[in-house]
Amino acid sequence: MLSAIVWLVIGMGAGLLGALEFSFPDLTKGVAQLSFTRLRPAHVNTVAFGWLSMANVGACLYIIPALCKTKLFSEKLANFSCYLWNIAIGVGFITLANGYTEGREYAEYREPIDILIVIALGSVSYNLFRTLLTRKVKKLYVSVWYIMGAFFWMPIIYIVGNRTFVAMDGLNDGILNWFYGHNILGMWFTVLGVGIAYYMLPKMSGKPIWSHSLSMFGFWTIAFFYAPTGTHHLLQSPVPEWLKALAVIFSAALVIPVISVLVNFYMTMKGSWWMLTTNMPIRFVLTGAFWYLITCIQGPFQATRGINWYIHFTQWVVGHAHAALLGTFTFFVIGALYYGIQRITGKRIYSVRLVKWHYWLLLIGFTLFFLALTIAGLQQSVGWALGYPVAQWSLTLMPMWLVRSIGGTLMFFSSCLFAYNIYMTLREQPISSALEIKVAVPIEGDSN
Amino acid sequence: MSDDNNKQDLKPQGIKGYLLPAVVVAFSFAVIYTVVVAIPNLPSLKSKPSEYAIEYIEKDKDGSIKRDSKTGKPVPNQAGRGRAIYAREGCFYCHSQFVRPQDRDFGSRVRAGDYANETPNVLGTSRTGPDLSNEGGKLPDEWHIAHLKDPRFYTPGSIMPSFSFLSDEELKDLVAYLQTLGRKRFDDPANRHIYEAYFPEADEAFWKASEHHKPNVDSAAAANAGAGIYRQNCAVCHGLNGLGNGPNALAMAKKPANFSDPKYKKYSNETWYWRVAEGVPGTRMPRWKLKLEPQQMWYLVAFLKTLPQDEKPIIEPYQSIDSAAWQSQSALPVGIVSNYEKLSAGAAKSGTGGSASAH
Repeated sequence: MLSAIVWLVIGMGAGLLGALEFSFPDLTKGVAQLSFTRLRPAHVNTVAFGWLSMANVGACLYIIPALCKTKLFSEKLANFSCYLWNIAIGVGFITLANGYTEGREYAEYREPIDILIVIALGSVSYNLFRTLLTRKVKKLYVSVWYIMGAFFWMPIIYIVGNRTFVAMDGLNDGILNWFYGHNILGMWFTVLGVGIAYYMLPKMSGKPIWSHSLSMFGFWTIAFFYAPTGTHHLLQSPVPEWLKALAVIFSAALVIPVISVLVNFYMTMKGSWWMLTTNMPIRFVLTGAFWYLITCIQGPFQATRGINWYIHFTQWVVGHAHAALLGTFTFFVIGALYYGIQRITGKRIYSVRLVKWHYWLLLIGFTLFFLALTIAGLQQSVGWALGYPVAQWSLTLMPMWLVRSIGGTLMFFSSCLFAYNIYMTLREQPISSALEIKVAVPIEGDSN
Repeated sequence: MSDDNNKQDLKPQGIKGYLLPAVVVAFSFAVIYTVVVAIPNLPSLKSKPSEYAIEYIEKDKDGSIKRDSKTGKPVPNQAGRGRAIYAREGCFYCHSQFVRPQDRDFGSRVRAGDYANETPNVLGTSRTGPDLSNEGGKLPDEWHIAHLKDPRFYTPGSIMPSFSFLSDEELKDLVAYLQTLGRKRFDDPANRHIYEAYFPEADEAFWKASEHHKPNVDSAAAANAGAGIYRQNCAVCHGLNGLGNGPNALAMAKKPANFSDPKYKKYSNETWYWRVAEGVPGTRMPRWKLKLEPQQMWYLVAFLKTLPQDEKPIIEPYQSIDSAAWQSQSALPVGIVSNYEKLSAGAAKSGTGGSASAH
């Protein structure tokens, strides 16, 4: 059963490593870089679509067949998607760095690259939905719901949000920009990440999920509440008031799915928390769950008008966005990767010590990064709120930029260790064929 | 994993039971919201450009749109070309383009119709630099071009990247675009009160008022009045005794002036006044004429003239806000009282020097 996926994930693994190479160097770029404005879209798009999306898709291509107890519909198609996606990201990185941009945040890729990504995304979706139809279990586990939801929503959001075929004027452009910009977070990364974590936690802890109905409640509420929240990025702009009200109410309501998901995670882990000390994938996933708590408690509150008028436009928001994409979903999918790489290839991880270094460098680096941005955001808030000219307070942010760069360097270094570790693992001889591995080889070691 | 999977049925399941309706319901959310968010706004916003909306398309004299002879697309004018560069270089990542109701000093508010001709949107979501909605006309073209090439030379604390890699032609287009921003709002007489400080007439009126309200700057009464204004507005940076060592100075990259420096002996009354009114660009010294009345600034000048300047500037450690001097706000700064006496004694003795009455 699992052998069906081996080929595929080797292909995906190559894609991932390729993605890692050009995704992580950008984390180190400080604000004062000479060509920051060119690097920023290249960084955002490459980590979002190159690293996080590709890693998530790779994990899903393993999880969905595993949960459906069937083979993937077409490995050839999946490999095709993988190559296409890699080409798109590679070309996209080069074109963005050279200034070929659409000039819309998160949607900077030019039209031809958009088309490549839509084809790749569509083929993965088609592949997974066909797999779902040939499933051999009756009841769908919650991860399947989350993941299939993401694969239905994302192509729609991407096509609508990128306006590859239709361009709009003025505020409509802004509204659609943020419909897209926030929904790739909400209806793609969040849904995929939570789906993966819902798969990982019971699998690793060996216990059933605490409440299936609560998990389904979380899925339906996120499906219901997420889509119209994007306008909270434009709360003080002259967009229609009813759109803002809709965005604020639905953003605040997102606290419901968040709490239900986290209660379920934590209750599932009840009695198994000791696994944090020895089991590396579960440590990554639970750390992601911790950052999920932070970022998703911030989110509904900072979307309300009272807090938004103070916090908006500042680096606080940048810290929040990184807490979601890096702190939460990157941690989730790294956990899934460490878990999956052994299951799929039948090889033992090259070095547990490197995994630990990876974990601690990433965590410490990211914590520094997040705190620096949050504090810088609060300083900026004061400046804007009191109406002081920027030149009067911009120098006070210098220490924060420095700390942020230090955090970024640690994270970049940890990612290099990660890539090296995975590369060496893939070079090793398998300890058994994939078919024989019934139980994952746990990545265990001393607790530290 | 979950117990559910133990009762597995090994036949392919296909579309069965509740799956199809559930999928349809779940996924229709996304479609419905797309329609709800996008469609109703198309006609309402697109068809109503306000009188402040900027034109980016080249037009013939009769008002018809000029089109490229090959592609048939409208030809952008200079501002339109500059806007494309603005979007291409990602200026909007750090500069927003909407004035919020709570913003100060960014000029008049914006309305939906102002953006009718804008695509892609450059509203921005982050302000690492200032808002640019009303930037046009505030500074000359030459300043903008020089500043784009070397930002830190013109604003010392700036972290803006240098855009010296743009060609001269591109820089000109970009600046032409920057100069159109908010220009129509600026020219509208209804907004005049917001921009008063920027009109030459206003400047003239200001200097007239300054002359009109000028007190006797050499009087102890004026200096006395100035001392209070100084303590309220200036001492926090320049220090209670004008030594440039106020509590704020500690955190500043460009330190505030130390008035004990002998170079200030050369300052005429008018130079002092001009410096106070216009501030020092690139530092935190504000343009006080936006906050204080002319008379108040003259009082300040009267006070500043009483500060002692000897051969060498006096250097003292930074003052703390907790220190005794700050606690006793009623006391005049150290050394100032004696200088009043010196001044008034000097005036009484009509120019024979005040050394006798010192202390």
